[in-house]
Amino acid sequence: MKTYWRSIDELANPQELRRQEVREESKQKSMLLKGDKELNSASRRDFLKTFGFSLAAASIVASCKRPVEKAIPYLVKPDEITPGMANYYASSYFDGNEYASIIVKVRDGRPIKIEGNTLSSISQGGTSARIQASVLNLYDDARFKGPLKNGEEITWEKADGEVAATLSKVKGSKVVLLSSTIISPSTQKIIQKFAEKQGNVEWIQYDPVSASGILQATKKSFGSAFIPDYRFGKAKVVVSFGADFLGSWLSTVEYTKAYTAARSLQDGRKEMLRHYQFEAGMTLSGSNADVRFPIKPSEEGAIVLALYNEIAKAKGATVFSGAKSSVDISELAKELLEHPKQSLVISGSNDENIQLLINGINELLGNYGETIGLDRPLLTKQGVDADADRLLADLKAGNVKALLVWNANPVFDHPKGKEFAESIKKVGLTVSFAERKDEISAVCQYILPETNYLETWNDLEPKAGVFSLAQPTIAPIFNARPVQETLLKWAGEPQKHRDFIQNFWKENQFAAQKEVADFRRFWDKSLQRGVYETALESKSAYSSDGLSQAASQIKGAASGIEVVLYESIAIGNGKYANNPWLQELPDPVAKISWDNFAAVPVAYAEENGLKNEDVISVNGLELPVFIQPGQAKDTISVALGYGREVSGKVGDKTGKNMYPFVITENGSRQYFLTGVKVEKVQGKIFELAISQTHYSMEGRPIARETTLADYIKNPVSGNEKEAEDLAKAVTLYKEPEYNGHHWGMAVDLNSCTGCGNCAIACQAENNIQVIGKEQVRNRRIMHWIRIDRYYSENPENPKVSFQPVMCQHCGNAPCENVCPVAATPHSEEGLNQMAYNRCVGTKYCINNCPYRVRRFNWFQYVKNDKFDFNSNSDLGRMVLNPDVTVRSRGVVEKCSMCVQRIQEKKLKAKLEGRPVVEGEIKTACAQSCPGNAIVFGDLLNPESRISKLLKDERNYHLLEELHTLPSVSYLTKVRNEKA
Amino acid sequence: MNIEKRGFINSQNTKPSGMKKPSLNLTVIQRFKLVFAVFILSLLAFSALPVSAFSQDDSDEMIDDRSHQEDVKRGERFFKGLLPKDRRFESCVSCHVLTPSGEQINWNPSAIDIAKKFADKDFSDFQAAVMQPNGKKMEASHKNFTIEDTDLKTVKAYLDDLAINGTPKIGPTVNQIVLFLVLGLLITLALLDLIFFKKIKYRFISVFVLLLGLLFQVKMVSEAAIKLGRSQNYAPDQPIKFSHKVHAGDNRIDCKYCHTTAEYGKSAGIPAMELCMNCHVLVREGARSGKFEIAKVVEANENKTPVEWVRVHNLPDHVFFSHAQHVGIGKVDCKQCHGPVQEMDILKQNADLSMGWCINCHRQTKVNFKDNAYYDNYMKLHDQIKSGKLDTVRAVNIGANDCMRCHY
Repeated sequence: MKTYWRSIDELANPQELRRQEVREESKQKSMLLKGDKELNSASRRDFLKTFGFSLAAASIVASCKRPVEKAIPYLVKPDEITPGMANYYASSYFDGNEYASIIVKVRDGRPIKIEGNTLSSISQGGTSARIQASVLNLYDDARFKGPLKNGEEITWEKADGEVAATLSKVKGSKVVLLSSTIISPSTQKIIQKFAEKQGNVEWIQYDPVSASGILQATKKSFGSAFIPDYRFGKAKVVVSFGADFLGSWLSTVEYTKAYTAARSLQDGRKEMLRHYQFEAGMTLSGSNADVRFPIKPSEEGAIVLALYNEIAKAKGATVFSGAKSSVDISELAKELLEHPKQSLVISGSNDENIQLLINGINELLGNYGETIGLDRPLLTKQGVDADADRLLADLKAGNVKALLVWNANPVFDHPKGKEFAESIKKVGLTVSFAERKDEISAVCQYILPETNYLETWNDLEPKAGVFSLAQPTIAPIFNARPVQETLLKWAGEPQKHRDFIQNFWKENQFAAQKEVADFRRFWDKSLQRGVYETALESKSAYSSDGLSQAASQIKGAASGIEVVLYESIAIGNGKYANNPWLQELPDPVAKISWDNFAAVPVAYAEENGLKNEDVISVNGLELPVFIQPGQAKDTISVALGYGREVSGKVGDKTGKNMYPFVITENGSRQYFLTGVKVEKVQGKIFELAISQTHYSMEGRPIARETTLADYIKNPVSGNEKEAEDLAKAVTLYKEPEYNGHHWGMAVDLNSCTGCGNCAIACQAENNIQVIGKEQVRNRRIMHWIRIDRYYSENPENPKVSFQPVMCQHCGNAPCENVCPVAATPHSEEGLNQMAYNRCVGTKYCINNCPYRVRRFNWFQYVKNDKFDFNSNSDLGRMVLNPDVTVRSRGVVEKCSMCVQRIQEKKLKAKLEGRPVVEGEIKTACAQSCPGNAIVFGDLLNPESRISKLLKDERNYHLLEELHTLPSVSYLTKVRNEKA
Repeated sequence: MNIEKRGFINSQNTKPSGMKKPSLNLTVIQRFKLVFAVFILSLLAFSALPVSAFSQDDSDEMIDDRSHQEDVKRGERFFKGLLPKDRRFESCVSCHVLTPSGEQINWNPSAIDIAKKFADKDFSDFQAAVMQPNGKKMEASHKNFTIEDTDLKTVKAYLDDLAINGTPKIGPTVNQIVLFLVLGLLITLALLDLIFFKKIKYRFISVFVLLLGLLFQVKMVSEAAIKLGRSQNYAPDQPIKFSHKVHAGDNRIDCKYCHTTAEYGKSAGIPAMELCMNCHVLVREGARSGKFEIAKVVEANENKTPVEWVRVHNLPDHVFFSHAQHVGIGKVDCKQCHGPVQEMDILKQNADLSMGWCINCHRQTKVNFKDNAYYDNYMKLHDQIKSGKLDTVRAVNIGANDCMRCHY
């Protein structure tokens, strides 16, 4: 049996870690007692206050009358609305970075939950944590309440008039529209109309973390700049150079869907995609890779070149000389050559030269047209880095007479943000269309807020020929207006955005098809499905232009320490830093929330005497240290997107802004910095909200794994203990009997990538409260589903396992027996129930739960100024799911297997007089899982998917030896290592 | 024996035997009187408090138009039937009550309703409405009216004043608290007598009073505690004098004609205003209510302002209840929970909506097990029915009383 370890501390000395944990606990307790002492020495005033309060409370209770509640009917009841029942609308999410087709759950006029749209060929029903959390952005206190001019309120008419007047004055001189990538065909048309009317308009698309390198490389290789369509599902071997395609690179939901499907061993599959990852920091993709090479970012070019040469040699193509590779890639090249047309080589680098070599490799391997499609390029990132630099030069030179900023924030996320801020102030007319507070709108004259994506119509084209529609699911909450309407107005064609889109679709998409004759029907169908696809043919042909020049420009590895900048899973590029759900989502690998940190290699920390939470100065910027197993030698990884200055009460001043570390090289921004000076800041400690040591499983074999070779030989391999435990199973208790249903869940560890989508989906569905950094540090995080991360083997390059753990709904639940008030009994359908109103908060159940999945409400987290997050404002509370109780202080809570969804679907089946259909009920975590790792169903139904998974040889229960009889089971992880 | 002993102690002291502390000079009756007087005084002080607070408010207000104020006063007296002295017709207030409440419905529009309706209308409109009634019911009751214009003007002034200031507030009833305090007093006295005074000859009387008082207090507290959050028989006044008796009883309209979503929705649904108009587009006058109440429905539709009904059945937030499950699937008759609605002029909450009430019903209710294919899953129970082990399946057998059926 492998030994797993959770952190470097534990690997070194598990007993010491446990001792430390106990010390920490007693420290907290003593702090609680200290608090009491202070209360005892309270002044007479405090006594009087308390006394007065209790008197008032007593008199209120004595004269307690229930408030008169009103029941106000509709004047005219809309047909589709039944009060108390949810409606679902197809829509689309795109924030300038990530795309997904979604289904929005609307309860009594309020969008409260996002689900994936299974009809979409791109997101296929999956979402990411950020997409799940996007519903909370709608109810963000930092949103602008109406148009502003220099901070003063202004009416739309007046603002329109003033801006239009200024624009006509500067007609002919340069006006710049700076936006994020815009993939809406109708919006592009609107911008074109505006540009035609205004004359000299330059439209610049800007991505904070761009794909500039890929765009420039494809321009040379194929004649036009585009991002190819990567088809992970068709690949047998995937080699990724620093591209975190499961976490943050381009279209992660799509890639995760395809990747996990290609690695699934369910339904008797015996094949798996093999994944090689070259990277510096431990990313989500790296932690899922079968073979991982920790490298410095500056080494990447030479390795790619060596790989190209090795393959070119075999294929008889030209070989280039260049810098020497630090890694022996001959085996890898051999394997790639064994899988022509079935391999996929990608790089996350923004260096055009590296991307050109990658294109060369894929061409030699025959991957174009097979694993890399050219007919449906991905359109979600179109920003070319040089454009932003040119804009800055223009601004400085005073060439720009008016600047319109839409969903772009270079003041924060451009390396020269400060210069942007200074030069923008000098522009004659500056207009920001920002939806919520950001750094650039703080320096703009006019703020003409745009509506949230859930409040507007839109059409999107994330991939060529793949269209998707967005529809409003709520009337605009604030006095905001879609930018499209604003631009149409300024272009002299004022009209409703919806009418424009409809007409646009009538002229384009509808006219181009022949299946539906009536536009109304075509529109309704597309709107209902949310997606519409057309057939396209590839026109691109590969040419090796520029390849030799690229090879000659590849540099060798740099010396010294390198800082690697990455987008974190939760915060991404920092746009939604004010979203408390995302801030509290622990990083999947480091398990840290509420801050970014410097991830340093284990050996480096040892050499320099660094501990977690020490502070180092990196080129003068002080950062907290986190020792990250698997971090490449001489590298330090730090997340982008933190350190916002103007974002709102939650996002401001969390972490440090790393964008100034980004350098521009070869026309593109490079997200690593070489030759960095690092010093330890003596005697300084920065506390991090690390949740890694929260939940110790004390070294028991809980995350099981095997290799593909062993699995094919013996499907039980890695899971031998299951039979052993079952043989010993005896109990004194009567085993529970189930009549109608027995709900259960299976988690395929081979499909779980650890992305954290389930945690946020659960948070949105079940009204889970955000508790803040300090309480997370106190190990009180409320997430009902946590994703445990375990390391094994070599700390310099460990193997990583992810394991989502939620309430196991034990048949022999240890928590149920110890509750003195019977607040947590067992249901007839196998659920371990939790009756909040019965709970008195003894916490016996928490102490007796071997899985550590119960959470205690240490404080009142709702309507409490001490916890000033979304639940402390009426606006933020609009996101609450009315079907789930908001728990108050002093009660225990835990996963309920989304009992509200079970009940809803059972009720539907009963009303329709039919049994519950398999797959009809889905828990929040299972529904939008991009890896399809979680399966929920009825264990009593022999035909159900879960019953079949339970018969899989890989199936096991957590801590089976305790005979708790969990309803949740796990399937062994299988690594596709080379034998 | 006691007296002898005491005398003995006294005689031991050299002081005169008649010497006692002054307070002990009072007889038992005197002492009771004293305590009672203190009690009454404190009660008076309490009841006077709100009064003085109100009067202070009034004095703060600047009154410019003295004659207007006099008009209002005259109007009030006229409205209440004190003016004119030789009045031959009934007082206004006898029909148009100031504080609409009580078990029985008063079909006539209340004073405040009228005041609000005519607040922004001219006197001539008001006069026309009073003197030239256009409904049958109103014609009958207003036919003997002989009112001077000047008097009617003062009535209008009074009603306008009412529309702004509202009906006089009624102080909170303190019966229960007074009773509780009196009992406390009795207990204290009984205790004092038992330990110190020992004036009552038979100790069992004091003990009896003490125990009875305590028992009664416990009963009051526990009853009040159980009632917290419950509101059986709650029958609030509604903004429209809508009578379920007239609609569901006399006219036999099916419950689900108005409460449309009862069979498939979570809530039974309060009918949209347009639904009322299905009938009331024609029915504009009630036999007892006249035109006034129905006019409110019509106006609500015309003004696009829905009526703000007072919600009668309020379940706590942590309870999930679905009408679909009970009405649609369980086929429970509406009356079983809501009582004889067809006999209620003012709708009141019939059941106490306590958890015990829910659970008891779940224990007794038989499940329609054979006819709904949903229950095909329950193979074991079907087998037990076949083999005769089980005669009927009740809701409780399939988990209706699990916590997470209603609480999640």
